[in-house]
Amino acid sequence: MDKGARLSAVDYLDRFFEEIRLEARANPDFAARLTRALGGEVVFATSDIAEIANPMEIAANQGEAGLRETFAGLDAAGLRKAMRTANLATPVDMRGKDTTELTDMLVRRALAKLAERRRA
Amino acid sequence: MPAFIAAVANLKGGVGKSTTTVMLADGLAFFYGLDVLVVDLDSQANASQILLTEIGLHAAAEQGKGAHELLGQFVRGEPAAAGPFIIPNAVSIEELRRAEDNDQRLGWISALPSHPQLRFSEMSLEEDWYSGTGTPSTLASALTTHVQQAIEPLRALYDVILIDCPPHLSPLSRAAMKTADAFVLPTLADPISVWGTKQFSDWVEAQLTDDLARRSFVVVTRFRNTALARQMRTDIQEVYLTDHTFGAVIPDSVNVLKAMDRPAPDSYNSFRGKYGSVTGDVRRLTQRFAEFSEQVAGTQWTRARD
Repeated sequence: MDKGARLSAVDYLDRFFEEIRLEARANPDFAARLTRALGGEVVFATSDIAEIANPMEIAANQGEAGLRETFAGLDAAGLRKAMRTANLATPVDMRGKDTTELTDMLVRRALAKLAERRRA
Repeated sequence: MPAFIAAVANLKGGVGKSTTTVMLADGLAFFYGLDVLVVDLDSQANASQILLTEIGLHAAAEQGKGAHELLGQFVRGEPAAAGPFIIPNAVSIEELRRAEDNDQRLGWISALPSHPQLRFSEMSLEEDWYSGTGTPSTLASALTTHVQQAIEPLRALYDVILIDCPPHLSPLSRAAMKTADAFVLPTLADPISVWGTKQFSDWVEAQLTDDLARRSFVVVTRFRNTALARQMRTDIQEVYLTDHTFGAVIPDSVNVLKAMDRPAPDSYNSFRGKYGSVTGDVRRLTQRFAEFSEQVAGTQWTRARD
């Protein structure tokens, strides 16, 4: 594009929002932050949950039921990743545990961490 | 051999006192198989939180464990004894837990934890003491006697006692520092921290010991390899605190932050899993500290692991 070309305000806004749209589509973490900044409730795609869903935030906003529902679609590897990312468990803590046990651990520790944060 | 007591202290806040305390406790228990007691006298209770988690430190307080109970004992005029206020199983390292489970004891970490209540207890004590005929020096003297009587018997039970002191010189921490054989001085490599460390070492030299250089172990923490940080590190080592022993430099690393966040009171991690890329730094720090304690007190700790 010619650097000197002048566009209308609407064209500039279109370009600006297009960049944001593209980034939000490619970067689920950015999309989640954007949704939060706009006051919305983040809905996670199953493939993104382990990476970007914050169990404490979900526990705070949706309680235990929401927490279980959000993480229900994950297999054992996904649950391990989610807990490692949120620092809710170490590999030693998760060793030998099946999906049910991992989910219970995630829920128990996320709720405990939330209670800890709210205590003071 | 009686326990080697080191006070981890600096007037400046945020220089890594609690992090250094926990790293040394973990390293000494893991690499040298030593029984370590962490005495947390900072009412911010960071070392206690790192060791026990926040839930754990509140549970400890509810069970009547903690340094504020030691202060309460002093206020009530009871005989000095710290043992009842200690949590004996504060370790978060899987290898040490497994050794304990298999009855192959190899290093352990206990804690005399802190709690935010400690500061209120201290303020209340100071107010009562000064409202009568008491003075700061009589309080310091009485408290020092109590703390020394409480801590001295613990020398027979542990190999190392690490006292995490608050940034301000509270009466309790001053008393504990008088009991210490050595001082660990964590600092950042920035102008304000270096100045604060120098001020603190001057104070310790004037008030507590005239051979601080021989008895102090300086640790540069959260080190970023910038020109300014390198210059400040050289300044503190070659200009301000010459003749002091310097420990390994702890890098500014997300691994350190992660290592200081125990996920839950029943959470354990392997040593290498806990410290990740800074495992070697913790090993070097521990090794230098072991050499330092040998110079200062003649301890002869044998390395149990590589």
